[in-house]
Amino acid sequence: MKKRLYQFTLLMVAVLLMSACGPAGTETSVPTEPATTDAPVVTEAPTEAAPLVLKIAMAAAVTTWDPVKSFSTEVAYLDNMYETLLLINPPGSAEEFTPVLATSWESNADGTEWTFHLRPDVVFHDGEAFTAEAVKMSIEAIADHGGAAFIWWMLDHVEVVDDLTAKFVLTSSAPIDWIASSADGSRIISTKALTAATADPNYFEAPVDAGTGAYVLESYKADQEIVFDRFDDYWGGWKPGQFDKVFVQLVTEGITQQQLFDSGQVDLVTSIPRENYLPYKDNPNYTYHVEPSFFNYLVFFNTLRPPLDNVLVRQALSYAIPYQDIIDIAVKGLGTQSRGPVPQGVWPSSPDVKQYTYDIAKAQELLTQAGHPGGGFTLNMWYVSNNDTIVALVPLLKDSFAQIGVEVNLVPMLWAPLWEQAKADPANAYDINPNMYWPTYSDAGSDNLWSLFYWTESPFFNLSFWKNDAYNALIDEAITKTVIDPVTAQAKYIEAMNMLVDEAPGAYLFDTKAVYIIPKYIEGFKYNLNYPFVPYFYYQLTSTK
Amino acid sequence: MHKLEFILRRLVSSIFVLIGVSIITFALSRVVPSNPAVLYIGPRARPEDIVRVTKLLGLDQPLPVQYFIYMRDLLHGDLGTSIATKRPVLQEIFDRAPASLELLFTGMFLVVVIGVPLGVLSARWQGKPVDLVTRTISIIGVSIPAFFLGLVFQIIFFQNLHWLPLATQYSTDLRFTNPILPVTNFQILDAMLTRNWVALKDTAIHIILPAITLAAYPIGLVARMTRASMLEVLEQDYIRTARAYGTKEFIVTYFYALKNAISPTLTVIGLTFAYALTGTFFVEIIFIWPGLGMFTVSSLLNLDYPAIMGMTLFGATAYVLINSIVDLLQAWVDPRINLV
Repeated sequence: MKKRLYQFTLLMVAVLLMSACGPAGTETSVPTEPATTDAPVVTEAPTEAAPLVLKIAMAAAVTTWDPVKSFSTEVAYLDNMYETLLLINPPGSAEEFTPVLATSWESNADGTEWTFHLRPDVVFHDGEAFTAEAVKMSIEAIADHGGAAFIWWMLDHVEVVDDLTAKFVLTSSAPIDWIASSADGSRIISTKALTAATADPNYFEAPVDAGTGAYVLESYKADQEIVFDRFDDYWGGWKPGQFDKVFVQLVTEGITQQQLFDSGQVDLVTSIPRENYLPYKDNPNYTYHVEPSFFNYLVFFNTLRPPLDNVLVRQALSYAIPYQDIIDIAVKGLGTQSRGPVPQGVWPSSPDVKQYTYDIAKAQELLTQAGHPGGGFTLNMWYVSNNDTIVALVPLLKDSFAQIGVEVNLVPMLWAPLWEQAKADPANAYDINPNMYWPTYSDAGSDNLWSLFYWTESPFFNLSFWKNDAYNALIDEAITKTVIDPVTAQAKYIEAMNMLVDEAPGAYLFDTKAVYIIPKYIEGFKYNLNYPFVPYFYYQLTSTK
Repeated sequence: MHKLEFILRRLVSSIFVLIGVSIITFALSRVVPSNPAVLYIGPRARPEDIVRVTKLLGLDQPLPVQYFIYMRDLLHGDLGTSIATKRPVLQEIFDRAPASLELLFTGMFLVVVIGVPLGVLSARWQGKPVDLVTRTISIIGVSIPAFFLGLVFQIIFFQNLHWLPLATQYSTDLRFTNPILPVTNFQILDAMLTRNWVALKDTAIHIILPAITLAAYPIGLVARMTRASMLEVLEQDYIRTARAYGTKEFIVTYFYALKNAISPTLTVIGLTFAYALTGTFFVEIIFIWPGLGMFTVSSLLNLDYPAIMGMTLFGATAYVLINSIVDLLQAWVDPRINLV
């Protein structure tokens, strides 16, 4: 009997396997892999003259090689392969922009038409010539389905005036010079590649490099390494000391990066643990750069959930935050208290935006006014568990709120599920959510102030779920006036930011500072806070070794 | 005939095991409240893009339908496409398997050449200082977690003594000065086959620490098992007889005693081989070893469910296969064992 059962089962298995021999149910579009070398080749090991290699340990992962769809950490690599029309310079520079693929530009009086004059004799890595058609196809593709498509919300179309002139026609006034210099969402891509990608959505994942940048993607091994080769036909030319190759070792652990750095196995790193910075400060072998950054930390109060629907309670909590202690402990002093949710140095930040102070007595007084003398309630704090800074500051918030009688339950989560749950059911989500933000390009008015607190039907990053029509109106007006009347726009933004402080849908903790530790033999490093996810532009760097 | 029947029965039961594993893994990966579409696009995915990608990945279908589609594609050899890398999961496995297998085989080689002799020595010199030392080494090996041991080795041998490299399969410079031509994608083997002696030395040095870290627990286990089996066998009459006839002690120990004592040790070696498959996860993370372990960990953290499913099924299949091979080996070594 047992034997028959096994024989029957075997027969069923055979039938099942045979049924699988038919055509596959779904077409999976398999990206083509670059051809591997034929094997075996049993020869003497080749010994080549060593190229000048820049070795970097980085944690930034690659989610896609598609320059249109990309909107994540791979920007660190893509912005060395691709270029934009302009680059925006750091605040305080003599010129606001550096011309890249555009040599000059102008707009009409109301900022609804922007004409860019393009650089001649530029070629893409795939051999295609750079023309206005490439600008048109690239920007329109991004506006249509790009990862950062939203920055082109005002774009009607791009017109090819001639081979080296492109005109951006807008439905509404906007600072296209800023937008066209964005790290994400403004890359110019070869027309040949864009056409191929239309037929095959996974075209770029092979990976394919279709940029004009100084470096070409040579090879990529996921989770392991990325190698770039210099582009000999780069329009900027090459000078002695610039690197022939760039080798990026993908290392997620900060301490491992540090060990590789200290032992000389890599030249540059990006993620040394903050508590280990100081020994490098006075080390004569390194230059120690402390720079302002695009990133800031804030706390969202869920305004849909009592008692946080009461502005007095939110103000009380804002007074109960030990801002300087958080900066000292969470980021080892590498930060400054925020003035609203716009990082200092980025448009439209202003010293006229108010700040809270750490004042427990004031906090207690406000709680009493709100009908909660001595606190006596509990709040759930959901926080991103894989952000070391947030992990460090969360206990300080908990402890400080306890001093005014507010208990806090800490709930660690990964970002993706936290965000999903919050958007899906705001009324039953967290009470408090500490978070981090940065603007996609150098306009934190239309990004931070819009994304974080502008009410929309479906919440995106407005994770306090705060609705205020007066605030929305201020932001709408400020955005439309940014180009044609920046003075009024700034005034509206300041009014909006002060409203955010007074109404306290969030608490604005600190703007971070970035630290770069550069060996003395590497020259040319120039920090630009407008490109926080691109720590190194390889073309700038030279070696004196 | 018995062996054939055994193989067929194992095949049938394995299929049920793998189906069960696939159902459990599928269910668990869907329980976590997160949308893999966010991973696909990036941390700032717009709502409309999330909807588009959710449809693209088939995540809007009911769970049983998703499972059915997955299993149907699986029968055609399609393990799906990794959400994180956008490449076929099967391709990822094939690309990364050589690195893991190279580490695994090196580790298991150390287990056999270190663990078995340690156990034999320990049994032969029972009660003597040699026995104490080897037993201490065994206990350390089975007690200390691999991830901790790996970090300790890095501190001692890399940071303090500067004897061995920190991590990775080979030095960065090797890639440009003496690149290894791919033949089998096993770096050490390819270096030998292409007579790239610089690369051979470099890759051999790089594999030492991760292999020892991986082998530490199995070495301890194998040494203890070998010792226990040897002690039992060394008490047997035929061993006493062999000694009485003046047979050299070396022959008695390694040819008479070990042959009969090795059977349980073989089982343990096989099981630790299977253990080491998952043990490589920690080791690969610590030593930035570009194998299946690193891929699995990043897939888990990113909820890359096609990769999670693919790796789980791959691991389960390997486990079942190894256990079957171990059983067959045992029967071959000891004809008294009845497989059926």
